[in-house]
Amino acid sequence: MTHIDLDTLVRLREPGREPGQAEAEKHLAECEACRREADRLEQRVARLKALPTLKPSRDAWPAVHARLRAEHRVRTRRLATFGLAIAAGLALILLLHGASSSSKTLSPALTEAMARSGQLEQLLESYNSDGRITDGHTDGMAGALEDQIARIDRQLEMAQLLRARERDTALLNLYRERIGLLDALMDVHVTRASNVGL
Amino acid sequence: MADAIPLPNAEAVLAQARDGDVAALEELYRAFETPVYNLARRICRTSEDAEDVMQETFFEVCRNLRQYRGEGSLWGWIRTVAASKALMRLRRNKYRDTDELEDEAHQGPRSDHGLRMDLEAALERLPEISRAVVWLHDVEGYTHEEIAGMMGRTVSFSKSQLARAHTRLRRWLGEETLV
Repeated sequence: MTHIDLDTLVRLREPGREPGQAEAEKHLAECEACRREADRLEQRVARLKALPTLKPSRDAWPAVHARLRAEHRVRTRRLATFGLAIAAGLALILLLHGASSSSKTLSPALTEAMARSGQLEQLLESYNSDGRITDGHTDGMAGALEDQIARIDRQLEMAQLLRARERDTALLNLYRERIGLLDALMDVHVTRASNVGL
Repeated sequence: MADAIPLPNAEAVLAQARDGDVAALEELYRAFETPVYNLARRICRTSEDAEDVMQETFFEVCRNLRQYRGEGSLWGWIRTVAASKALMRLRRNKYRDTDELEDEAHQGPRSDHGLRMDLEAALERLPEISRAVVWLHDVEGYTHEEIAGMMGRTVSFSKSQLARAHTRLRRWLGEETLV
């Protein structure tokens, strides 16, 4: 009599039907040696499940937390870096073209808008400097706003290349839009913080 | 491992963790660190790899907690993240699919005649993929379809790895050979 091999015994434990399974099951029901082998297989699985639980020798939480904070900060800094780059670019253009330009200084409205934009960036920076972890929903909203701000920043870079009169109008409009987005981003963080009681 | 969240105030902790509360995230970590490590260690070759997998797992869990919508147990979700990370680690370490090649590369040609060891040692001695399959299937309860999906292999590959693993375990444990 041919006994069932271990490969077949292992497959017999699976749900569903495979070719030759009925024949193997019939043999198993009639053959004591194969039943003993099947029992040993079950016992081996039971012993595997009963193996002691292995425990970590180190606490990984500080490393996990540090990575979460680092990732959060990278995104916050990316926003601040955009703002600084735009302001620096504008200053450079004024310096290079100031002598030949009809307007050596920015309009008061534009100066005020740039200042307000800078203030909001600083506020956001200080708000996020504690490294609080943002949840997925807030993360999504903040990410969408940051993407829009990044789009404005690219337009600001292009606007710097315009002639003085057109440039100031374009910059003013873009800075006003930027301020609106920064305000909205601020609201997202304030709402999140109040929800979790921070 | 129980499928329920081993936390007395699980729902509140989960809600706070989703809102980015650091204390709640740490509480989740504390609740699941041991089962995650145990799973990773049973699959990975070294404790260092297992600790790396644990860190990767919790980093991803904390970042994507919103993706867990309460369908199935939280442990089930975390466990799948951990298993995927552990298998990814095996791939990164350039494991070999062919058991014989692995045996020869690591331990040289050998005979198993007269060999008898305890289950812990026998499990540790299995080739990495066989060990991963036997653990995920027999202990963690994954189906061959799920294992095949996580490994990017076929169902029959998973089944044959399981059968090979049991053949070797039986031999190394000194259990009676039938055929």
